[in-house]
Amino acid sequence: MFEKSLYDLIKGLRGHKGGENEYIQSSLRECKAEIKTQDMDKKATALLKLIYLEMFGYDMSWASFHVLEVMSSAKYLQKRVGYLGAVQSFRPDTEVLMLATNLLKKDIVTSSIPNMSLPLITLPHIITPSLAMSLLPELLSRLSHSSPVVRKKTIVCLYRLALVYPEALKLAWPKIKDHLMDDQEDGSVTTAAINVVCELGWRRPHDFLPLAPRLFELLVDSGNNWMAIKIIKLFATLTPLEPRLTRKLLRPLTNIIQTTSAMSLLYECINGIIQGGILDGEENLQERDEVATLCVGKLRGMIVMDSDPNLKYVALLALNRIVATHPTLVSMQQDVIMDCLDDPDVSIRLQALDLAVGMISSDSLQPVVSRLLDQLQQASAPAVELVDTPETFETPPNPTLWPSDYQTEVIHRILDLCSQKNYSEIVDFEWYVAVLVQLVRLLPPSENEDDWAYPKEHEAIPNFRMNTALRIGTEIRNVAVRVKGVRMEATRAAESLMFVDNRSAFFPSGSNIGDGVLGPVAWVVGEYAEYLLSPNRTLLSLIDTSNSSLPARTLSLFLQAIPKVFVQVSQTGQPGDLWNSEMSLLLARVIEFLEALAAHPDLDVQERAIEFLEVLRLAAEALTSDTEEVPFLLASVIPNLFTGLELNPVATSAQRKVVLPDSLRLEEAFSHDLSEIFRKPESSSPHDSKLWEASDFYHIPELSYPNKQTRDLAPVDLQPHASYQNFAGMPVESSNAVQRRMLERRERFKDDPFYIAPSGDSSGPSTPFHEALNTSNGEVLDIDSIPIVDLKLGDEQLRHVDFDRQRSRRPPVSKLVVAGDETFETQNSLTDASMPKGGDNHPTYKRSLLQVDSSSLGNLSLANGPSSPQVPADEGDTEMARAMQEVEEVRLRMQRASERIQLEGIPAEGTLVKKKKKTKRHVSSDRDVDPVVKDPTAPVVGKKKKKKKMQEPEKLSGEN
Amino acid sequence: MINAVLVFNNNGQPRLTKFYTQLDTQTQQSLIAQIYRLVAQRPASACNFLPLPPLLSQGASSSASGPSDAPTQITYRTYATLSFIMISTSTESPLALIDLIQVFVEALDRMFENVCELDLIFGYETLHAVLGEMIVGGVVVETHIEKIIAGVRAQEGSLGKKKAVQAASTSLGRGALPGLGAWR
Repeated sequence: MFEKSLYDLIKGLRGHKGGENEYIQSSLRECKAEIKTQDMDKKATALLKLIYLEMFGYDMSWASFHVLEVMSSAKYLQKRVGYLGAVQSFRPDTEVLMLATNLLKKDIVTSSIPNMSLPLITLPHIITPSLAMSLLPELLSRLSHSSPVVRKKTIVCLYRLALVYPEALKLAWPKIKDHLMDDQEDGSVTTAAINVVCELGWRRPHDFLPLAPRLFELLVDSGNNWMAIKIIKLFATLTPLEPRLTRKLLRPLTNIIQTTSAMSLLYECINGIIQGGILDGEENLQERDEVATLCVGKLRGMIVMDSDPNLKYVALLALNRIVATHPTLVSMQQDVIMDCLDDPDVSIRLQALDLAVGMISSDSLQPVVSRLLDQLQQASAPAVELVDTPETFETPPNPTLWPSDYQTEVIHRILDLCSQKNYSEIVDFEWYVAVLVQLVRLLPPSENEDDWAYPKEHEAIPNFRMNTALRIGTEIRNVAVRVKGVRMEATRAAESLMFVDNRSAFFPSGSNIGDGVLGPVAWVVGEYAEYLLSPNRTLLSLIDTSNSSLPARTLSLFLQAIPKVFVQVSQTGQPGDLWNSEMSLLLARVIEFLEALAAHPDLDVQERAIEFLEVLRLAAEALTSDTEEVPFLLASVIPNLFTGLELNPVATSAQRKVVLPDSLRLEEAFSHDLSEIFRKPESSSPHDSKLWEASDFYHIPELSYPNKQTRDLAPVDLQPHASYQNFAGMPVESSNAVQRRMLERRERFKDDPFYIAPSGDSSGPSTPFHEALNTSNGEVLDIDSIPIVDLKLGDEQLRHVDFDRQRSRRPPVSKLVVAGDETFETQNSLTDASMPKGGDNHPTYKRSLLQVDSSSLGNLSLANGPSSPQVPADEGDTEMARAMQEVEEVRLRMQRASERIQLEGIPAEGTLVKKKKKTKRHVSSDRDVDPVVKDPTAPVVGKKKKKKKMQEPEKLSGEN
Repeated sequence: MINAVLVFNNNGQPRLTKFYTQLDTQTQQSLIAQIYRLVAQRPASACNFLPLPPLLSQGASSSASGPSDAPTQITYRTYATLSFIMISTSTESPLALIDLIQVFVEALDRMFENVCELDLIFGYETLHAVLGEMIVGGVVVETHIEKIIAGVRAQEGSLGKKKAVQAASTSLGRGALPGLGAWR
């Protein structure tokens, strides 16, 4: 048989361009056959090919047993292939590993260094608690190996052992520490030890405080930048525990910062100073300030002077860490940071964005946001042309690359910026509403369908990210609910988004942006229908036939809004014949829309549609009766369904705080003869009676809220809102223009509280809009023809005017009241327990991919002493692991006992003799093996060299 | 610690995958694909740090400033047709990782003499051996090029070189990775 080598395989791969998959499949079949042969050469070659193909994603887990076979090969290069196979293909569920224990033991104590290295570099990938327990003695013996290569690899290997089997560290740590303390130790070994300590350090900093003098010495004297970086990182975790260290470190760190030429070291020094909290304390103010200024100065230098984008990036990273504690120091660098917002590099921009979020104040909010908006506009300009082919979006004509997820990120950050601390940084909410509308326009065209997944998932993730479109919609709703002062603006913004003929401008066809925005927007339009500019048009938009293709969740919000807006429409006209026929027509259209939805596949939509359908059919019936008066059903009953209590924002956790009443019995059956009840013929209950009950229910609270308008004809503020009414063809306004226009409007307002509708030229872009509206809708309320709002004022009307006056008089900087979330405290604060997990204390976080779990080390004490307290088991699986370990321990003890018996038969000068004689034990034939280390009870008589090596660390540790 | 070392070429074909935690093959592949997509988007002038791809950003809590077990930084460098990627936690210094990649590439250059992508394809085992001398279990054990080379030579003698020569005879265009040593 003529088999391929890896070389041939690769050549074949390159020769089969286009048909790779077939070629690989046939190669895999060959490998499967080859790997089963007895010929070790063939086996190893086949395995090597499999490993190569695994890199491209071809599973080789089925070959795990053959991996073991090759691992046990006598030839080094074959063995190496075997070990490589284990590293690349073994997974937590690989079972053959249990068979490998003896092989690994043998290889660890072999005489050849390359051979020995193989298990040392492989073990970190495949280690399990039981394997760790069995191999620990062998590995510990390698710590005193003569070659530094072995020692350094062993130290690291032991660290990974300790991660799955923390007890290992207890035994290994004293030895690792000896190596660390040893001045004569090879530099590589010391560095490896430092690297390991750095990994361990942040878990249990207390254990490593005693090392501080040695670390300090290494930092100052070693001259090894790699190590110095790690030591500084380690110190950063130690200084918070030992304030005296701060004083000691300050000088050498300052020295390094001022003198070093290595930017990485310089950066880590600054970073260490920041993270170690050296800048935080109170005493030594002068010195601290100097250091802080020095650090920030250097960071500024990295941003400004160096053209190296890496330095820019890390400098921003460091500033991001300082900003939490020293916001003033950072905001002094605002100029350079803001420049980074326009950096061509997206990574740098994102860092700068983070920083901007951190240091924002009410003064800088608007400039920063408008800057970001400008960016987005530039980005979306080429995107508009490419809407139809989002795939080509990666190569827009302008030089800077604009991945759409960056745009999404920017939008999120803008919303983060504005909404933080319950909108406390926002001064001008009208501006914010305008920003939101602009953002809708700037949404990147392709939003991932998966993002549309809803709360269930989000609750699990603390800082959840909604779909941007949905988030913008939600923001508009939030502002409308929370900030009464701009409720009208927010509602009108929502209205402008809702209009069907605007939609093609806001939401390009083929994208699902609208799905997210329209839901909350529809709610706003319905709930605050009294502020609508044109309820009629809004209603027509709500019942447009194109809506039925919207997702069910959005549609159900639409359904809820339709009757609310309809009520509003019905209240705007004068009762009469004309009104009657108009209403009948409108109702017919609404009913037609609802009828279409009555068979919607989504049950929620279906239910809502049918409910409102029935109610509105009754209303239509009432209208047909030839009375002059408005039917009671329309005038009072239906409106009262939706008015009454004001809706306020409620904290998400509030519901959970409601204490269940004792009398609530969820388990108990309603009635024991339920089936009997159903069997009775249904008493026909007319809809009307039900309606009356409902109306009573809503009517009663109404009396206690007299100022809530219900039945009176609602006065509508007829001022057209120019800034929200852009057309498709029109370019997106710059934020400056919007602001300017808003100022103008406010100016007009000031002079005339009883606002006169603007004539054609002053209303600017709104005029063609209205014309279009009037021609298309026919009998819509003609706004421009009504010069002045009806002055026959009730209380309600006065309130409104006052409101307008107040608003117009308000200086631009006055703060609006932002309603916070409503919640309540219960006596027993069981609430925190039920809160979504987000605290740092909860380790039940979703684990990140690639993460190595070192949390078990957190419980381990390295303090010397025979009676180390047993850590209480907090989780079921740790207990299980412990039980497994105990079993394993027993097994190990028995195994050792049997070994000891064998050892006793060997003369005292064990190793020397063993060199000549072949004994039964495999390992004993190796030159380097030191049975003494393996079994401390055996007499310590080895070669002189060995003995010396053993004593040296003892002596050194004695000095400490 | 370093969580993974990846090398792939400009087309996203992996040339080296080393994950220091066990991960099923499918997830490995999708992670590589996600990172490749990020790298491919970046202009040459951009900095060497990548934002976290979706697979990694799920579990990472960006709010926590202190060290944690979750990988938070991805450092990459591109040499000619190859991109070298290191995924690491915050206990590694970002700038030092860039240097580490440089050391890795320089060591490969020494092993293969004017290393190019083909060398790494055909010298697959040597590539792993070099990495094994530098990083064990996600912890850096050696940054000194001489020692790394000595370690690999001890393993395979002149084997690596031989393979490179073999590859050279078949390769069409052999261009060494430019920019070696030009950086710092």
